[in-house]
Amino acid sequence: MKCSEFASRIDGYLDGRLRPEDEEALRNHLAECPACAEETEAVKDLRRRTARLPRSLEPPRNLWPEIANRIAAETVVQGRFVRRALMAAAAVVLLAGSVVTAYIVGRSQTGTIVENRQVIETSPSEIVLASFDELGVDDYVVTRGKLLGALEARRDDLSPETLEVLMANLKVIDDAMGKIAEALGEEPDNEFLMKQLAAAYRRQINLMETAVRLPAEV
Amino acid sequence: MVGMTVARSSDLGESGLVERAVSGDVEAFEELYRVNVGRVYALCLRMAGDPTLAEELAQEAFVRAWQKLGSFRGASAFSTWLHRVTVNVVLGHRRSATRREARVFAVGDDLPRDVAGRQPGTAESIDLERAISSLPDGARVVFILHDVEGFRHREISRLMGIAVGTSKAQLHRARKLLRKALTS
Repeated sequence: MKCSEFASRIDGYLDGRLRPEDEEALRNHLAECPACAEETEAVKDLRRRTARLPRSLEPPRNLWPEIANRIAAETVVQGRFVRRALMAAAAVVLLAGSVVTAYIVGRSQTGTIVENRQVIETSPSEIVLASFDELGVDDYVVTRGKLLGALEARRDDLSPETLEVLMANLKVIDDAMGKIAEALGEEPDNEFLMKQLAAAYRRQINLMETAVRLPAEV
Repeated sequence: MVGMTVARSSDLGESGLVERAVSGDVEAFEELYRVNVGRVYALCLRMAGDPTLAEELAQEAFVRAWQKLGSFRGASAFSTWLHRVTVNVVLGHRRSATRREARVFAVGDDLPRDVAGRQPGTAESIDLERAISSLPDGARVVFILHDVEGFRHREISRLMGIAVGTSKAQLHRARKLLRKALTS
């Protein structure tokens, strides 16, 4: 056995964790090698001294007040975040149902409905766009603009009621994405919120694509 | 027999405190802090080799423990779990500090001035503390984890992101330097 091999097994030897044949080989080496024998005694002595070190040392000052402050601050932030996350999630759940039902109800309504042009006239907020960067969606504004343009081009084909319902629901999704993005601002690594934002994006794009393909009503 | 009864009632007390802390009881967590702060601080001080940094790391360890209390399953004692959390905090700081700046640890200088002064123990243990604190960073951390805290090389390798062979080599180096420091 070489001295380097012995050195790599010394702890296993001292802890009694070696196989019997390996332990015997080490014992034979120790009997023949004064340097390794000396090394073994030195390590044993060091381990004895180390074992006597106190396991506990009192810090020079009370660390608790700062820990308590940080815990308290964190609890407040977490509470605020949870409320925001729940609001964002609720908005997404709300829109999932409302998009379908409002569309059906809207199509069956009669009478004059004021057209909602808010979606077309407003751009996504900076915070929503920043969140989309994180999602890896880099053509959101372009895709949204094209679909809104296509909807605008079909204005004469669709009834005012249908257009009104479409715009109202696109706005619901815009608002939901705004809330999710706001919550993401406080918790950028939250995967749940990122998934909700991606889902809202898909719903909005799907809704516009469906609307663009609707048969002419007028 | 009496000792067993004391130990069992202590365990029950700890699990009760942990249960209350998990449900958000800060007073229960403060009690867990009081019981464990000495061990957490000792570990931070020995691994970091700097009393001021050790205080910061110990505080961070307790804040991290509070954040992660929900993941504590009770498979081990709370003190064992907290010990792991502390090791991760110190090693995490070490990794980020290494990224931020190339710190130079010269053997023999930058002794933690009040380690020896504040710790209880004999002259022998004070000499050993001083010698440990003067070790180069990597060798000191491996020595503390292996010889003081009882981690195996495989665990140290995983925790520190180094090869098992590197962990063994650092331990060998640490012991050699300690022997030299203690005999000089």
